[in-house]
Amino acid sequence: MSMRKISFGKAINEALHQEMERDDSVFIIGEDVAKMGGDFGVTRGIWQKWPDRAKDTALSESAIIGLASGAAVCGLRPVAELMFADFIGVAFDQLVNNAAKLRYMFNGEVSCPMVVRAPTGSGIRTAYHHSQSVEPWFMNVPGLVIVAPSTPYEAKGLLIASIRNEDPVIFLEHKSFYSIKGDVPEESYEVELFKAEVKREGRDVTIVATMSMVALAEKAAEKLAEEGISVEIIDPRTLFPLDKDTINRSVAKTGRLVIAQEGPKVMGFGAEIAAMVVEDVFEYLKAPVKRVTTMDVPIPFSPVLEDYVVPTDVDITEACKAVVEF
Amino acid sequence: MALLKERLLDLYYKMVLIREFEEVMDIYAKNGTIPGFVHLGIGQEASQAGIVDALKETDYKYPDHRGHGVSILCGTDRKLVMAEIFGKGTGINGGRGGSMHINDIKVRNMGFNGIQGSTTVTALGTAFASVYKGNKDVSVIFMGDGTLGEGACHESINMAATWKLPVLYCVINNQYAISTHYRESHPQKQLATWADGYGVPNEVVDGNDVEAVVEATERAVERARNGDGPTLIEYMTYRWQGHFAGDPAAYRPDEELQEWKNKCPVKRTKARLLDVHGFPEKILSDIEKKVVDEVQSMLKFCLESPEPDTKEALKHVYAGFGEEI
Ligand SMILES: Cc1ncc(C[n+]2csc(CCOP(=O)(O)OP(=O)(O)O)c2C)c(N)n1
Ligand SMILES: [Mg+2]
Repeated sequence: MSMRKISFGKAINEALHQEMERDDSVFIIGEDVAKMGGDFGVTRGIWQKWPDRAKDTALSESAIIGLASGAAVCGLRPVAELMFADFIGVAFDQLVNNAAKLRYMFNGEVSCPMVVRAPTGSGIRTAYHHSQSVEPWFMNVPGLVIVAPSTPYEAKGLLIASIRNEDPVIFLEHKSFYSIKGDVPEESYEVELFKAEVKREGRDVTIVATMSMVALAEKAAEKLAEEGISVEIIDPRTLFPLDKDTINRSVAKTGRLVIAQEGPKVMGFGAEIAAMVVEDVFEYLKAPVKRVTTMDVPIPFSPVLEDYVVPTDVDITEACKAVVEF
Repeated sequence: MALLKERLLDLYYKMVLIREFEEVMDIYAKNGTIPGFVHLGIGQEASQAGIVDALKETDYKYPDHRGHGVSILCGTDRKLVMAEIFGKGTGINGGRGGSMHINDIKVRNMGFNGIQGSTTVTALGTAFASVYKGNKDVSVIFMGDGTLGEGACHESINMAATWKLPVLYCVINNQYAISTHYRESHPQKQLATWADGYGVPNEVVDGNDVEAVVEATERAVERARNGDGPTLIEYMTYRWQGHFAGDPAAYRPDEELQEWKNKCPVKRTKARLLDVHGFPEKILSDIEKKVVDEVQSMLKFCLESPEPDTKEALKHVYAGFGEEI
């Protein structure tokens, strides 16, 4: 495969172009996704090539998601964009009460192969309505697939896999990632859904980290290595349905678990991982599980305040030390 | 019927103030001092100033995301509005909100909800409370042409019309929602007619003619206060900047922008004051100078203001809890 360094946003763009090229049933829909190429520029160049398969809509998230689910039932493969993940509130019903349940409602005779791309997370100073980490809003809804890449390579491969998947996918794009570059093959490829990745192998403590927290966990791991603490990092990549085995096996090996996530602690992604580990591999645990999360407050605007409520690599380092020293 | 000349002069001051305020915000957004997204109202001063001028301080005002201009005219100490945009600890919301969320319940600036369309239904509640409590306060929603696409707008106008709630829908039609022209996202030629389906009186107003703005808004507010229910007014105008400070706005033709710059609401008001009302040039240039000083002194306050104390991030999540939950 021919590798080059491209940005996270460009990797997604390339995945879209290649899937549009491969499969006539793929189309994109959303606010300003066609002519302008998306608020974050992710859908650039698609409308110019396929004007009938790139639809700019009014500000109508409910209609966007509803239309996508209806079209998906007819065999089309919509890729809808929410300008910000937070706006899903307006279309929650369509996703949660309709798209997620269609297969179940029709005895498995209906599929809803749609993707909802949603820029998520904090860090670009946009305050409480444009910075939330929405993954737990959906993790409680069987029928939805929640995908959360942390590198440009994964972004491309996971999006291609998501478009080909038969069930509705929420594809979370951490908005601080768009300009970050990494190695991405030029060819089309899939990164397997429902499969966690061991980002780093280690013996003493497992960190399960998602999206923006993966890089911070890696930084913490470097620091801890200097102090003789060996860290294993797992990125679930598909948050739900979850690759339980990879996480359980790692915790059984290290005996210690730290979960690093953005978003409030209460009922977050980390709560589910902690509960799962306690249920499945309790006998291997040498220390209580620790969670490193955003504080339980809305995301404030001021950089000083935002940085204060969102976790840092130092928080992860300290949590790891605490469980090792327990 | 034209406005009294003293009132028009005061409106001129307010429009010049918005223009100057926004131009300074543009500079500090582009040079990176102001974080996040900043949506400027340059070009829309007549609609913003004119609507607020037609209201009482006790009316509930729901500015939109392009709401600096409205927020500095609602009665809040203006430097605290600017400090909020800078995210400073002295900001009206302690730096928690920023440009998009300038909220001040004391003057019934109900603030903007970052989710477009959301305020149209919240406003039903303040309107309902006005009726419930027997006062005559009107709930006034500022909204863009694009925002009218949200389903919440339909729910809102249906209920307001059925229950004759004192609501005023101010649709500021600046032609675009980010890159999308309103003719590409709505079937109506004029968005005002959207209200016809609900039997709600509506009209289209030249949003760059501050006198027309005030008069139409006053008529609608009067109807609402008298218990005759909601009105929708579509104010035709144009935003000169991109969607946010720094957006190159490549999606629209230069000639269109130029055409609207020729219809500058500030210049137009100035011409009326000079030519029709015979004010001497000096009075107007004094106003312009005064505004520059006023904005510079706000700016100085903001630049010298401290960053928020980090613990402030944890306050005001619940009543009765301390900083940590
Ligand atoms: C529910 C929701 N969808 C989308 C957005 C993103 N967004 C913010 S402003 C805007 C365009 C609004 O256009 P318009 O209502 O015409 O107001 P203007 O910006 O022209 O003043 C969009 C799409 C949002 N904030 N909320
Ligand atoms: Mg608009």
